[in-house]
Amino acid sequence: MARERSWRAQKVIERLEQKVNRQVLLSLAACVHCGMCTEQCHYVLANPDDPTYAPAYKADKLRKLFKAHIDWTGRAFPWWVGARSVYTDEELEDLKDTVFGKCTNCRRCSFNCPMGVDMATFNRLARGLLVHVGIMPEGVATVAKDQWEIGNQMGVLKEDYLETVEWMEEELQDEFDDPNIKIPIDKKGAELVYTINPREAKYDPRTIAEAAAIFHFAGENWTMVSEGWDMTNFGLFNGDDELGGACARRVYDAARTIGAKRIVISECGHGYRSTRCEGPNWSKTDLPDIEMESSIITMLRYIKEGRIQVDKSKNSIPVTYHDSCNMARSCGMTEEPRELLRLVCSDFREMYPNRQQNFCCTGGGGAMSMAEYAPRRLKSAKIKAEQLRATGAKIVITSCHNCVDGLTDLIKHYQLDMEVKQLVDMVYNALVVPKPAPKVEVPVAVAPGEIPAKALAGYKVLVIDDEPDVRTYLRVIFKDKGAEVLEAPDANQGWRQIRDQKPDLVTLDLVMPHKTGEKLYWELRKDEKYKNLPIVIITGYGKTDKPTVRFHEFIAEKGIPEPNAFLEKPIDPDKVIETAIQVLGTRIPSDQIQ
Amino acid sequence: MPIFEVNGRKYEVDEDGFLQDPSIWNEDVAKDFAKSEGIDELTDEHWKVIHYLRNYYLQYGIAPMIRKLCKETGFKLNKIYELFPSGPAKGACKLAGLPKPTGCV
Repeated sequence: MARERSWRAQKVIERLEQKVNRQVLLSLAACVHCGMCTEQCHYVLANPDDPTYAPAYKADKLRKLFKAHIDWTGRAFPWWVGARSVYTDEELEDLKDTVFGKCTNCRRCSFNCPMGVDMATFNRLARGLLVHVGIMPEGVATVAKDQWEIGNQMGVLKEDYLETVEWMEEELQDEFDDPNIKIPIDKKGAELVYTINPREAKYDPRTIAEAAAIFHFAGENWTMVSEGWDMTNFGLFNGDDELGGACARRVYDAARTIGAKRIVISECGHGYRSTRCEGPNWSKTDLPDIEMESSIITMLRYIKEGRIQVDKSKNSIPVTYHDSCNMARSCGMTEEPRELLRLVCSDFREMYPNRQQNFCCTGGGGAMSMAEYAPRRLKSAKIKAEQLRATGAKIVITSCHNCVDGLTDLIKHYQLDMEVKQLVDMVYNALVVPKPAPKVEVPVAVAPGEIPAKALAGYKVLVIDDEPDVRTYLRVIFKDKGAEVLEAPDANQGWRQIRDQKPDLVTLDLVMPHKTGEKLYWELRKDEKYKNLPIVIITGYGKTDKPTVRFHEFIAEKGIPEPNAFLEKPIDPDKVIETAIQVLGTRIPSDQIQ
Repeated sequence: MPIFEVNGRKYEVDEDGFLQDPSIWNEDVAKDFAKSEGIDELTDEHWKVIHYLRNYYLQYGIAPMIRKLCKETGFKLNKIYELFPSGPAKGACKLAGLPKPTGCV
C-alpha cells in the first residue's frame, strides 16, 4: 500500500516536476560524488567533522527527490540510485534547515566542480519548492511579504522614502554650500535612473547622498524614482520566480516611465544580479533600449572620461576588496572594482584567494534575515576572518550590502581591527570638488583692508538689537567710520525710528522679546515704502537651534526676498563695515538728499 | 534559546543578540547591553535616541526610519553612528529592546 503523504509534501513533488529545467536537470544528473566541492565550502571548513554541511550531501537531499519522481533510473531501481520521496512536514522542515540554514548560495563549490554541477541553482530551486508550501524562515517570509505588498523589502512608505531623499539633498547643499545640488525625483527625460537598496533609505542614507554628489559633479542628467526604486529582490533568495519577476518589473517600468536610457544599480550584489541578469527572464521582459549597469561602472566611467576628478591620496589607509559572490561568481564583475579602487585609494591590498575563488561573507543568500542561523553563520565565518586578517588592511571594501552586514558582524565576532566600506564611500571621499563659480559681487566702493577713515560719512545707520552691549559695540564701529547711528532696543521702536528718522541702513537682530526680527523684516518688506530699504541681519547661534535656518524657512514660506546681507555673531568690526559699504553701494547718503 | 548574561542578570535573546521578548525592556536592559555594543557609558544623548526608538516601537510596532530618528532627536546622521558604533539598526535598536530589523541588515 502506498504510504500516505502530507498535503505539503504532495505539493512539493508536483511543483518539482514543473520547475526542473535543463540546467537543473544537468546539475542533478551530473554529480559523480568526487568530493571536490567539500573543501570549497566555508561551512565545511568550520565544521570538518559534520558531513551534513558537504555540498554534495546537501545536494543529495533534492537529488533523492528527483531520482524518485523524475529520473528513470530512480523509478526503475530506487534502492540502487538512492531515490527517496518526501512524505511528512517534518522532512520538509529538515530540508528547510539545509537549504536555508546550511548554504548561502555563494556558488564557490559550483566553480570548483569538474562536472559543472551548479549547487546554488538547485539549492535555490529547493527553497522555492518550500516557499511554495509556506515553509521558510520567518525573516524571509516577512521580507518577501513586504516586497510583494509594499513594493520594497523593508516596508518603507513612499512619503518616508521621499522625505529621506529630500533630507539628503539638504545635507548635501549644506555640505557643499551649494543650493544647486539636487536629488531629482521622477524627472522625465532623465538619461539615468538610480535605484537603491531600501537599507540605504531606512537606516543609512549616507550612500544616497554620496552617489548624488558624484552624479551632480559629473553633470549627469539623472533621477531617482518615487516608485520602483528598490532594486533588491528576495525572489533570488527564496526561489520564488514570480516574486523575482514582480520586483524586477517594477524597476523596469519606472525606467520606462522616465524614458531613461540607463538603470544604474547601487552597490548590492544580489540586487545587481537580480535586476540585470535574472530579472528579464523572471519578468519575461525585453528591454532593448535600456542598459543596466552597476554604479561601479558608472563611477569608473566618470573618472575615465574626466567628468569627476579624484585624489587617491585622500584615501591612504590600507584597504582590501571583498568580492561579493553575486558580483564576482554570478556576474563576472571582478576587474572593474579593482580598477576603480586603484584610482581612488593609494594602498590597495589583494585578499587571497580572491575574485571567483573568494570566500563568502557568510551573509549571502538572504542569511542576514534569518536570525535563527546566526550562530552557524558566525562559526562558518572563520575562514573569512582569517582571510581578512592576513591582508593587514584597516578597511575592507565591498560592493554589496549583504556583504557589508555579514562582514561587519564577523569583524565584531572575531574582533578584527577593521571597518567595512563601499566603493561609493571611497570615491566620494576622494572627490576633488570643482571650485564654485565666483559669486557676483556687488560693486565694492573700496577694497577690503583699505577702508577710508570716514567711509560711512553722511549715512544714517539704525541698530535694532535688544542687547545693550551689542548696540554699543555696533554704534562705536559705525561712528568710527563717520556714520550717524540710531538705536532701538526692540522691533516696535525700530519701526518708529525707520518711519521718523529714515535711516540709510538697518541692522536687525532676529531673536528679540515681544516682536521678533523676522516679523519686523516681513512687515518692512511688505511695505511698498520700505521694501528696498537696505537691511543687514546680525544674529547669533542659539544653543539648540540656528535662527538663521529658521529665518530662511520663514522668508521662503512668506515669499519675501532675502535680506541684503547676513552676519553672524560674534561680529568682526571690519566685516561689518565692509558689508555696510557693499550693501549701501552707490546709494546717495541721506544727508545729501534735498 | 540563547541567554545573554551580564551584571548578574540573564536575558533571553535571539541568535543575533536582540531581546527575545521586547515587552520586558527597562532602562537596565539598555545599560546591560551597552557594553556589548561598544558603549562604555550611556549619556543623555544615548538616552534620547533609546527613548525615542522605544516609544516609536511601542506605538507602531516597527523601527522608525533613520530620517524620523534624526528629525525628532535633532541629531545629525553621523552623530547617531558616533553614539552607536553598530549603527541605528543593530546598535541603537538592540539597546532599546526592539526585535532585530527585518531585511538585508
